[in-house]
Amino acid sequence: MRPLPRSGERGGRVVSELVAAVAVPHASHYLREVPREPQGHTAQVWRAVGAHLEAVRPDVLLMIGNDHMNTFFFDNLPLFCVGVADRTDGPHDEFGADPSYGMPQHLMPQYEVPVNADLAQHVRARGIADGFDLALTQEFSVDHSMMVPLHFLRPAMDLPIVPLWVNGVAPPLPTARRCHALGASVGRAIASWPPDARVAIVASGSISRDLGSPLGRGQRASVPDPAWAATVVRHLQRGEARRVVEEATADRLALAGNVAGELLNWIALLGAVGDRKPVLAERMGEGDASIVWRWDL
Amino acid sequence: MSTYAVHKVCQSLRWNDAFRELLRADPRSALEPFALTDEEREALLSGDVARLHDLGAHGLMLGYLATFGVLGLTSDIYAERIAKARSPI
Repeated sequence: MRPLPRSGERGGRVVSELVAAVAVPHASHYLREVPREPQGHTAQVWRAVGAHLEAVRPDVLLMIGNDHMNTFFFDNLPLFCVGVADRTDGPHDEFGADPSYGMPQHLMPQYEVPVNADLAQHVRARGIADGFDLALTQEFSVDHSMMVPLHFLRPAMDLPIVPLWVNGVAPPLPTARRCHALGASVGRAIASWPPDARVAIVASGSISRDLGSPLGRGQRASVPDPAWAATVVRHLQRGEARRVVEEATADRLALAGNVAGELLNWIALLGAVGDRKPVLAERMGEGDASIVWRWDL
Repeated sequence: MSTYAVHKVCQSLRWNDAFRELLRADPRSALEPFALTDEEREALLSGDVARLHDLGAHGLMLGYLATFGVLGLTSDIYAERIAKARSPI
């Protein structure tokens, strides 16, 4: 890591610091939209978030995302999993040949991405000590959930990541309360990591999204519950994370789409940032369902 | 009740080129090794995605049958049929 002024000290012991928290979407359609409209609103928002990450000079990006049956499958499915390795690659996705549906493997490069195994192990060990049963994978690729944000925010892939997967796709999902508490544990893990490093959390997800269920009313990818999206936005704008956690019940998420559990990645991030209000909230199309948030820390 | 075998079919379609070609050429033979119930097997062979979804298969996985254009499915046909499935709650 680059030599930096001390991030912080606790009782004389140098520790690391959470320097940025951003919540972004990861839909593959951005891979078509941004090159088509490079000066459009969506492209500008991605660039602004990338610039923010550059400005805060993180040493590591802790990515919170949900796999879409690309890294894991129903044969061996963790609720929460930390990837511990020196490197990974992606996007490991196979969407098929339908041109109306984004094909990440053709619309973005295959990237090699460094992983900070030490922080990954520390997050997992700290999480287990806090009572979270975090699964482990040590040989893995990552899918668009993490690679699309990295592609837009840090295409140089020069910053090591720590991948933390939350199952948001295959019910029964972890509870919102559990995910929020896990985020708080991750925040404590970052704060107790010895190397005096600057860590940013990038959580990717969505508020209401459906892929191929009857809720989608005929669309491959859809937003079944814009009212829920608007509710979540309102709570977040007011810094009322607790209300999001309380209201994101299994039934509520089920109504919002068969991958509406993607909100749980953002709920985990809320656990790490506490009650701070976000300083940025930009809609990325799809009404309130795809938003970019940023918290200043 | 498990739809694990249905999900395995969809996953094999995505990642296994040889299986994908066999599924196009001879669907019944391609599905033979999977531990599908008779109902699941016939629903797959007839592209009855609504039935499969009602049986508990995940739309995320079923949708690949359409995006890969197998079992008589296209995105339009899938959309028309899945609309007839039961809502989750």
